[in-house]
Amino acid sequence: MNDPVSTFKLFGLTFNVGNMISVFVTSVVVFLLMFFLSRKLRLVPTGKQNALEMMADFTNNIVKGSLDKDTSRAFSLYAFVLFFFILISNQLGLFIQLTYNDVSYVKSPTADPIVTMTLALMTLMLAHFAGVSKFGFKGYFSNTYLKPFKVWLPLSIFEEFTNFLTLGLRLFGNIFAGEMLLSVIMNFAFSHGPITMVIAVPLTLIWQGFSVFLGSIQAFVFVTLTSVYISQKIEVEE
Amino acid sequence: MFSHLLFGSPFVLTEGLYTGNLLFTAFCFIILMGLIKHFAWGPLSEMMDKRANKIANDINSAEKSRQEAEKLAAQREEALSKSQDDASAIVNRAKDTAKQQGEQIVNSARTDAQSIKNSAQKEIEQERKDALANTKDDVANLSIEIASKIIQKELKADDQKALIDSYIEGLGKQNAR
Repeated sequence: MNDPVSTFKLFGLTFNVGNMISVFVTSVVVFLLMFFLSRKLRLVPTGKQNALEMMADFTNNIVKGSLDKDTSRAFSLYAFVLFFFILISNQLGLFIQLTYNDVSYVKSPTADPIVTMTLALMTLMLAHFAGVSKFGFKGYFSNTYLKPFKVWLPLSIFEEFTNFLTLGLRLFGNIFAGEMLLSVIMNFAFSHGPITMVIAVPLTLIWQGFSVFLGSIQAFVFVTLTSVYISQKIEVEE
Repeated sequence: MFSHLLFGSPFVLTEGLYTGNLLFTAFCFIILMGLIKHFAWGPLSEMMDKRANKIANDINSAEKSRQEAEKLAAQREEALSKSQDDASAIVNRAKDTAKQQGEQIVNSARTDAQSIKNSAQKEIEQERKDALANTKDDVANLSIEIASKIIQKELKADDQKALIDSYIEGLGKQNAR
């Protein structure tokens, strides 16, 4: 699955154009959705506002599940944006896959490890930052790495890397597998003329439905783990 | 594509780990967060907080006004029973006063009547005495005249009068008996 990609270099960094477009499209979609839902806010909510408040309550409850009241308020915006960014990312590739000269320009950005790793990195940086800002560097260090036993220091450091990798790769793996199977079904559909096309239609439907479910679950899992990792850093370990 | 995952290898880095995309994604995400905070999240949470406050205030003020209403009702009840007490006290007092006044009137009437009766009796007695005395004089004079005419005897009027007085006194005593 080594798809060709179109890249360019700037300041010694490599940029993947298709990926950038996907991320940008996702951001625009999320922003437009939130912008549309948040017009004409009233004290007594109606229609769109109810939907938006349900969404906000949903992510707030995820955060509240593992953080106390004050901290959860501080991280609720991050959780909200993160959830809907990942959710829309996951669904984007199921509906739109723009390919030009074998290079896909719009697909699920979360089907690319660099995006999921970025999100995981941001989450963990935020968690560590919250830990340092709460306990100071010394307190943060001893709370994160020296407890419950000092001899577990290498293990604790290693755990930080596994946290990072699993958080990013879980999301990437799920979405990437979903898109890959979708493209396999697509190849199958065009392989033997109309018969396979007819067979492929229900298969695509089923797999798309499952992918929608999977993408939502993965967004939920990602945000839940985010709040768990943050809570690990800012809570005193016994 | 999996080659992205081999972070440590410099070979892969030259192949194309899209380090630029890391920055771009983070940049996009942060911008998105800012925009959503400004346009959606901020107003929304402000509104939700406002609503929560309003509901709390409404509940508090409802509780307060309920308590006030209860207090007012109690006050009214109290005032009502007090006014009933007052009314019955006023009526009782009026009754007492009326009774007293009536008794006074009756008593004074009685004493007045008694005094009138007494004075009338006195007057009657006086008149009777006067009449008796007049009669006594008249009888005495008549008797003297009669006696002087009948007896034709020279008699001293004074001696005769004393005689007749004693006689009439004895008559009066017989009358009074």
